[in-house]
Amino acid sequence: MAAELEGSKCLSGLLSGLAQDTFYGHPGITEELLRSQLYPEVSLEEFRPFLAKMKGILKSIASADMDFNQLEAFLTAQTKKQGGITSEQAAVISKFWKSHKTKIRESLMNQSCWDRGLRSLSWRVDGKSQSRHSAQIHTPVAIMELEIGKSGQESEFLCLEFDEVKVNQVLKKLSEVEESISTLMQPA
Amino acid sequence: MVGALNRAMEESSEPQLDAKSKVTNQLIDFEWKLGMAVSSDSCRSLKYPYVAVMLKVADHSGQVKNKSFEMTIPQFQNFYRQFKEIAAIIETV
Repeated sequence: MAAELEGSKCLSGLLSGLAQDTFYGHPGITEELLRSQLYPEVSLEEFRPFLAKMKGILKSIASADMDFNQLEAFLTAQTKKQGGITSEQAAVISKFWKSHKTKIRESLMNQSCWDRGLRSLSWRVDGKSQSRHSAQIHTPVAIMELEIGKSGQESEFLCLEFDEVKVNQVLKKLSEVEESISTLMQPA
Repeated sequence: MVGALNRAMEESSEPQLDAKSKVTNQLIDFEWKLGMAVSSDSCRSLKYPYVAVMLKVADHSGQVKNKSFEMTIPQFQNFYRQFKEIAAIIETV
């Protein structure tokens, strides 16, 4: 195996490139790009399996959302395997996961959300008064605009009007949601 | 005559509502579901809770439509907090 592949110097860069491609959906990160940028002395034939190995390791770690104990055990096992990784490389991978874990997890969560999300919310409260042919009636109204959409698609702007009664009805529902969340989050 | 008390112009940290949609709808019903994403083909250990919402809204003509979306827990909490703010203000207006 090429000496460069055994080293750990460019591994951090490689993992970043892999994350861009596999998790963040950044286009154009090809095998050839990574090789020429990070391991120019290595042939494509030698680089390919190395890349596949590192990709496999990173995907396993992300898929299991490994905590640091699991990560250590997993990487140690990889160093003991035939054709595995060196302990230097294990250290680089460990450091990489620790600093990118949250961001990678967020991408994975986004990738598995196929419905639209609530992108933004704005509102105001108006006091309406009617004067013609009737006594002054003061009915406050809340106007809310929800921006609903998903990345890569144009948002839908939904404008809703609520009177006080309606606001309180919705509030009651929201408190039911909150209660469910608390129940869910309680330790077993 | 419509008198508008525009709280956004006062001390609110929320952006001024300049509605992009010109048509306002009435909320007929608010349905919700608390889900937990367990696993997916790209991640075997997802374990994240989310709130799915289905709004039944009616436009001026009375036509009813369903609008659905999902929120993460922090997004839901922000949504709830803002509704509480609205309730507090609408009570005083």
